[in-house]
Amino acid sequence: MVDAVAVRRQVHRSTGRTSAKSFARRKSTIALVMALPLILCIGLLVVYPSLYAVYLATLNKSMERFVGLGNFAFLFTRETFWMVVRQSAIFAVSAVFFKALIGFCVAHFVHNVPTKGQRKWRGMLLVPWVIPPAMSTLAWLWLFDPSYSAFNWILQQMGIGAVPWLGDPYWARFAVILVNVWFGAPFFMIMYLAALKSVPEQLYEAAAIDGANWWQKLWFVTLPMMRNIIAITVLFSLIVTFANFDIVRVLTNGGPVDQTHVFATWAFKLGIESNDIPLGACVSLFMFPILAVAAIFILRGINRRGNEA
Amino acid sequence: MPSNNFNRRRFLATSVAGSVAVAAPYVLTSCATRKLSVGFWDHWVPGANDVLTKLTNEWAAQEKIDLKIDYITSQGNKILLTIAAEAQAKSGHDVLAFPTWYAAAQAKNLEPMDDVMQPLIAQNGDVVAVTEYLGKQDGHWLGVPATPGSQVKGPCARIDLFKQHVELDLTKMYPPGAPADKAMTDHWTWDAFLVAAEKCFKAGYPFGLGLGETTDSVDWVGSLFAAYGAQLVDAKGNITVNSDATKQVLEYAKRLVPFLPPDVFAWDDASNNKWLIAGKGALIMNPPSAWAVAKRDNPQVAEQLWTFPSPKGPKGRYEPGLPYFWGVWKFANNKAAAKSLLTYLSQRSVVEQLVQASGGYDIPSFSGLRDFKIWAEQGPPKGTLYNYPPRNDEIVWIAASPAPTPIAMQIYAQATSTKMIAKITQGGESIDKAIAWAASELEGFMRV
Amino acid sequence: MTTSAQIAVGGVRLTKRGSMRRDRRRALFLSYAFLGLFVVFFLTPPIYMLITSLKTSAEISAASNPWWVFKPTLQNYIELLTSSTYLTFFRNSAVVSLLVVVITMMVSIPAAFSLSRMKFWGSAALATGVFLTYLIPPELLFIPLFKTFAFLRAATGIEFINHWWILVIIYPTLTIPFCTWIMIGYFGSIPKELDEAALIDGAGYVQLLTRIFIPVALPGIIAATIFAFTVSWAAFLYPLAFTTSTDQLVLPVGVVTTLIKGDVFNWGQIMTGALLGAAPPLIIYAFLMDYYIAGLTAGATKG
Repeated sequence: MVDAVAVRRQVHRSTGRTSAKSFARRKSTIALVMALPLILCIGLLVVYPSLYAVYLATLNKSMERFVGLGNFAFLFTRETFWMVVRQSAIFAVSAVFFKALIGFCVAHFVHNVPTKGQRKWRGMLLVPWVIPPAMSTLAWLWLFDPSYSAFNWILQQMGIGAVPWLGDPYWARFAVILVNVWFGAPFFMIMYLAALKSVPEQLYEAAAIDGANWWQKLWFVTLPMMRNIIAITVLFSLIVTFANFDIVRVLTNGGPVDQTHVFATWAFKLGIESNDIPLGACVSLFMFPILAVAAIFILRGINRRGNEA
Repeated sequence: MPSNNFNRRRFLATSVAGSVAVAAPYVLTSCATRKLSVGFWDHWVPGANDVLTKLTNEWAAQEKIDLKIDYITSQGNKILLTIAAEAQAKSGHDVLAFPTWYAAAQAKNLEPMDDVMQPLIAQNGDVVAVTEYLGKQDGHWLGVPATPGSQVKGPCARIDLFKQHVELDLTKMYPPGAPADKAMTDHWTWDAFLVAAEKCFKAGYPFGLGLGETTDSVDWVGSLFAAYGAQLVDAKGNITVNSDATKQVLEYAKRLVPFLPPDVFAWDDASNNKWLIAGKGALIMNPPSAWAVAKRDNPQVAEQLWTFPSPKGPKGRYEPGLPYFWGVWKFANNKAAAKSLLTYLSQRSVVEQLVQASGGYDIPSFSGLRDFKIWAEQGPPKGTLYNYPPRNDEIVWIAASPAPTPIAMQIYAQATSTKMIAKITQGGESIDKAIAWAASELEGFMRV
Repeated sequence: MTTSAQIAVGGVRLTKRGSMRRDRRRALFLSYAFLGLFVVFFLTPPIYMLITSLKTSAEISAASNPWWVFKPTLQNYIELLTSSTYLTFFRNSAVVSLLVVVITMMVSIPAAFSLSRMKFWGSAALATGVFLTYLIPPELLFIPLFKTFAFLRAATGIEFINHWWILVIIYPTLTIPFCTWIMIGYFGSIPKELDEAALIDGAGYVQLLTRIFIPVALPGIIAATIFAFTVSWAAFLYPLAFTTSTDQLVLPVGVVTTLIKGDVFNWGQIMTGALLGAAPPLIIYAFLMDYYIAGLTAGATKG
């Protein structure tokens, strides 16, 4: 490998400095040109509107005056806001934890099954993720409905009373997390299944020779090999789950008494329904600094590990 | 940029024309193409949209306007999204439908409609107080009351269950086609309501009164509060939640809630409909959409449904009302045509056709337009909607009025009154604690 | 190392055959049991949707046994499949999703190649920054975007808002960042020797990408395609905000806004619409997943 590079360098040196320079220039220009559509798309359609959204968050309610961080200062005095922060954190962290756990376990079981049969299991287990969430959440709403709940019907047949799935604060939080886990676990499953399949068999066999049982194989072989993919999926899911809007909106709309509100639904209530767009923007942006820092650390770790490998 | 083919004069002409076009695009387009773009509320009654389209097209043909109609649903709050986005972008439809609070919220972006409303009021009669409260800001009308979507949310109850368990004949108290029975209506108070709720609960058919955060829940609680004179914020903007009236109404609510189904705290706008249509409940507070669906899906229940006014409280009989408005943006291209359209749509003959198409669901805001035959004719049971439009001593009201609209809107959207009731019942808090919580919320709403 | 492991493995197999088979059978049994459990959990709502879609409106309101259909009817399916409105939603969704997938791949693949292989000034920051775009939720972005498109209409005269093609412009913001990241991961795992060999042979970077990287990273590309298609098909808030006229709506928004009116839900039709709407992604996955997994397995045994 080293010889090839040296040979290439020699070849270029012999043909003169100008072509070496032009080659170097060509590489970075090609790189830039290839990345240009990405830069343009993100710049125009995400970065610019985001900056405008941040600007909106610094205006007063009637959007006539600049108040800087005054909206945030106001938000921090509201008891409901801190309740929303707590609820969003519990929702996102527990949902992502269960999604990752279930996705990991299911991927393992599917991997264990002989390859011929895997196809139908994969297909069946992928279904929740494939149905548009706007519509599958409606199905869950119908399943939890106070008057018509199919689950309550079964419970009543068994003699247990009906459960107020969406009416009691604790059941409502459970319901929202359940639907999110149901929807998101298949995504983790396919990502982890792909990663599992790319772990070389020799490592497992070597571990078996050393007398490792299944738990040790998992801990010392599987998990380290999958560290990157686990980090990326968890990070991505955390970001997306913190921003989740559809599930809470359709199932409980934040109720009862605001006890299932998350950032996105609370921002919508304040911004659009109560006509205070700057305040809504503040709520939406609250997690941004925290998640951005987490993302940067995790991604840097992945990059470093990738460079070392 | 001129090409070499233009001679000097043509270059000047085109550049002048170009700059005029840039400076005053709306004037040119309105004169040149006579276009109008309209966003109406998407009516749930099948066929109602078609009638409105037909009527609007007739007007457009008459005035030779190139018309574009969109029907915007309130599902997912799309109509609110549209209003917010168009207000920010200063671009969109010329005429748009605004639910309840949102015309007042966009006061500074809407074209004053005084010149349209004065003649309409002279012609059709006064509007109810709530329409003026919501539609007029700083002395100027911001929109014209729209017929499609404007509704009232009084009780809709089961005649048979009331006869059997409450010993009250609803059809006698509020007969179809005749004045209400004064003796009986005087006894139809919130206290009588509480007794009826208890009786129906014990009989296994509880009242289905939502205590969630959607409009159905906020509306009936609002009229309950008004009936007891409990104001959260008064007309001048002072926080008056800590009052005897509030304590009185919260005590009442505490006695009422045990007779309601346990999960009312999560009910949305459709839950009470389903409760009634499934035959589980004796009464809900809802416009006739529940009865209309029951007609299709559960005719035995539909035959026994009767719509009538709310109970009376110490301070009067308050009926929750939700007017819609049609407003014209300040940035609209063709304001003259827009105003002409809105005047046309408020003419008696047109309003009658719209109400007919909605099956009597829509209630015009002008007092002179409440005497259409449709309400007496709808059935079965015949006359079920006769007492739907307010006729007697009902005061049509919206929760949180008469507070200044920016504050009231937040009280409404965030369901402060309903949450107070939820806190003292499901939350187990004391009345004083709930009032203190409400006071701190209201302080936050005072933000400017 | 390989040869000694093989011998050792061979040795282990000879001596411990019986216990391994029993272990293997037990592991298989447990796997099937748990898989069955999870399948029940995952599939209960779709099966319930199917049951409800076969019921008439009257039967749904009557609150009889919700898990059984007493008077099955295909009326809901017939009504939707013959309704031009619903078929328009389908067509719009299909066209938008396909276009978005193509655009996403055309932007992501070169960008991922550039960011993972060809370092230029700011490429590391760009790679991280791209990921951060998910931190601003669509609920906040739609207002400034609305403003942008209104400005574009004033400047160019083209009407963007309330046309389905605006979604083809906006959806990529939801799909490109993650797809780029997936591809960076896959490209990163391709050994650098391949680059060097190709470059010596005189290949340019573009040829390197098209001839070598894309074929080798095909499972990753398919994974990204699956992701992009799912996200486009299921997007709700952007089409809700930007499209209004019935003939411009995509499937999720169309089902929700035409089948739910005011406080009246048509549950039978809603469930039918949802199931029919989930069919295309499922069918596409059924095909693509095989290629995807096959590609991965091939890669694993090779390495």
